[in-house]
Amino acid sequence: MSPRLLALWLKETIALLRDRHGLLALFIMPTLFILIMTMALRDAFTPGASIDAAYVVVDLDQSAHSQSLIKRLDKAAAFHRHQFNNDPEAARQGILSGQHALALILPKGFGERLLTPAGADGQPTAPLQLLVDPTLSPALQLAFRNQVMAALGALRADELTQRAGKLFGLPTAPGITEKEWPDEIRSIAVRKDSDERSAKLPSSVQQNVPAWLIFAMFFVVIPVSSIFIIERQQGTLQRLRAMGVPFRLILAGKLLPFFVLNQIQAVGMVLVGMFVVPLFGGEALEMPASLPLLFNWWAVAAAVSLAAVAWALLIASLAKTSEQATILGGVGNVLMGAIGGIMVPKFVMPAVMQKLAALSPMAWGLEGFHSVMLRHGSFADILPSLLQLLTFAAISLTLAIWLNHRALTARS
Amino acid sequence: MLQIDGVSYRYRAASSPALQDVSLNIPANGVYGLLGPNGAGKTTLISLLAGLLTAAIGRISLNGQPLAAIRAANPRAIALVPQDYAFYPMLSVSENLRFFGGVLGLQGAELKTQIEAATAFARLEQVVGKRAEQLSGGLRRRLNLAIGLLGQPQLLLLDEPTVGVDPQSRHFLLDAIAALPAAGTTVIYTSHYMEEVEAICQKIAIIDQGQVLTEGTLDNILHSQESSLELHLAQALPDSIATLYAASTEGECKYRLKLPSTAALPRLLDELAAAGCSVRDLSLGQHNLEQVFMQLTKRSLRD
Repeated sequence: MSPRLLALWLKETIALLRDRHGLLALFIMPTLFILIMTMALRDAFTPGASIDAAYVVVDLDQSAHSQSLIKRLDKAAAFHRHQFNNDPEAARQGILSGQHALALILPKGFGERLLTPAGADGQPTAPLQLLVDPTLSPALQLAFRNQVMAALGALRADELTQRAGKLFGLPTAPGITEKEWPDEIRSIAVRKDSDERSAKLPSSVQQNVPAWLIFAMFFVVIPVSSIFIIERQQGTLQRLRAMGVPFRLILAGKLLPFFVLNQIQAVGMVLVGMFVVPLFGGEALEMPASLPLLFNWWAVAAAVSLAAVAWALLIASLAKTSEQATILGGVGNVLMGAIGGIMVPKFVMPAVMQKLAALSPMAWGLEGFHSVMLRHGSFADILPSLLQLLTFAAISLTLAIWLNHRALTARS
Repeated sequence: MLQIDGVSYRYRAASSPALQDVSLNIPANGVYGLLGPNGAGKTTLISLLAGLLTAAIGRISLNGQPLAAIRAANPRAIALVPQDYAFYPMLSVSENLRFFGGVLGLQGAELKTQIEAATAFARLEQVVGKRAEQLSGGLRRRLNLAIGLLGQPQLLLLDEPTVGVDPQSRHFLLDAIAALPAAGTTVIYTSHYMEEVEAICQKIAIIDQGQVLTEGTLDNILHSQESSLELHLAQALPDSIATLYAASTEGECKYRLKLPSTAALPRLLDELAAAGCSVRDLSLGQHNLEQVFMQLTKRSLRD
């Protein structure tokens, strides 16, 4: 091992350990983000989880059928039903005052006319009414409507079979029964290997740990540039050059410590996902269990790190002062994170924004992590992400070297 | 012996060259002063010697060998102590010394010995554990110098090593630098403080606008200029005498006159007495570098 490289590594490590603000940005920030965003986005990632929107049923019919419909809606359990005194005006007021977001009004004669198509007997059928809070997301309005339609369909089918049974003299249970139809829908994530244990959808912790890990890795720009700018401003780079230290050795002296730092961040954030998130009521992060998958995971982490450190060196070379570097690097990272699906998961973005996300190196990294963690992808599957990240790293590094070379020769 | 032969250098996008046909002979084992105002080309020359810049025109050699070849054979042969505090403020004094020693390729016992020697030389023993950012200006200069000495260089380039230093530290630094040639190190010292150069340099060159105006031993330079006389009179100098001796006015009733030689002084005094001028005080032949510089460049060292 070259003593010169060793000295450079040691120097960078000590300088880094003494940069408290930098370390705070690198470890505390992503931990907080993982905890907050995992909690905030928990429901968005869990299909079938209860939705925080309440509804009431105004039952003007008070028949066995209307009660049966209410029971069926209760069973679906996606929305909360508040108990209510069957007054349509009070239901309207309840929406205005924000007590509930939806009110379903079952008209008088609902049960009687359940199997009578409108106007079949010359009398109009009063429709079911759904009062909605206009601020409730259209997707949720639609979801509730579909749930009512489904319950209504099932109710009609039961009623139909019962009447048909009577007609043909088949033995039937007395009264109205809610049959358990085997029509439950279970969501199964599609992956390469589909053993029973892993056949669940990603949780928000699985989106957030890799996302904020990538974000935090890119924040090495703060310590990298603060040390590098001190070196340039104070003439230390000149001195090192006069000592015959080639610039590539100086860069190599920076790459390794920050690469190692990124790997420590990766381990730290995985541990936060596995052990700290559950303490706050979230689901624990599950890491791939097999060695090849773990290696793939690490390969993505390594590629993200190289891209992040190279990017940091480029910013450090572009910026004249550390304030500039903080702004350039900080704003650059936030932008990359915003369009790259770190802050807002890519799948909730409209198609145009998803296309834009493909431009962000952070999105390439996230795609790589998702490939391994959610789809249990092979090395070939993560290769496109790796190549994008490594190309980005190579271009950033080349630009950084070129900028420094130009600055040194044009110095006056 | 360091020889600089016809070296010129022009920065990219600069309208005039920073150095123009500079030739200097710098003897081994001495302190050589490079004197000039800001922007004269001192730092450019130092950068060329340190290998930070490469001269397209001219030749620089040390003991007959091109400087680049010497540097390639032994990167520690030439050391630069830049004008800035070129070390790591967040590292302690000893960590800085260990780092720069390591970068020079020193290790083990040799590294330890060199760090101890440099620490002792710059008298940094009391502050080895202190972070560099907590040091006073004087101690920072000493650390800057100590780092330069780690590789036991044959040639030490000091670029304005006493800027921003309190008088005690300046005194200590100057004494320390003056002692270096005895240990086998040739020192090139740039400064625009002429008292410093007068105090420690055996040979000097005055450069301005990229050109060498004069070079030689301090004595030669101070005495080679034509004699000038500073006169302070009780009344104004008569015009006839002023014209005769090409007098310039330096202040109220203070004049500088050109004398062909010191032998011309008694005659001048007679003429003054005849004109009824009484002399308050006069000085002859006592040049300092400031005056020489003024004569050569028509401007002050601190411009």
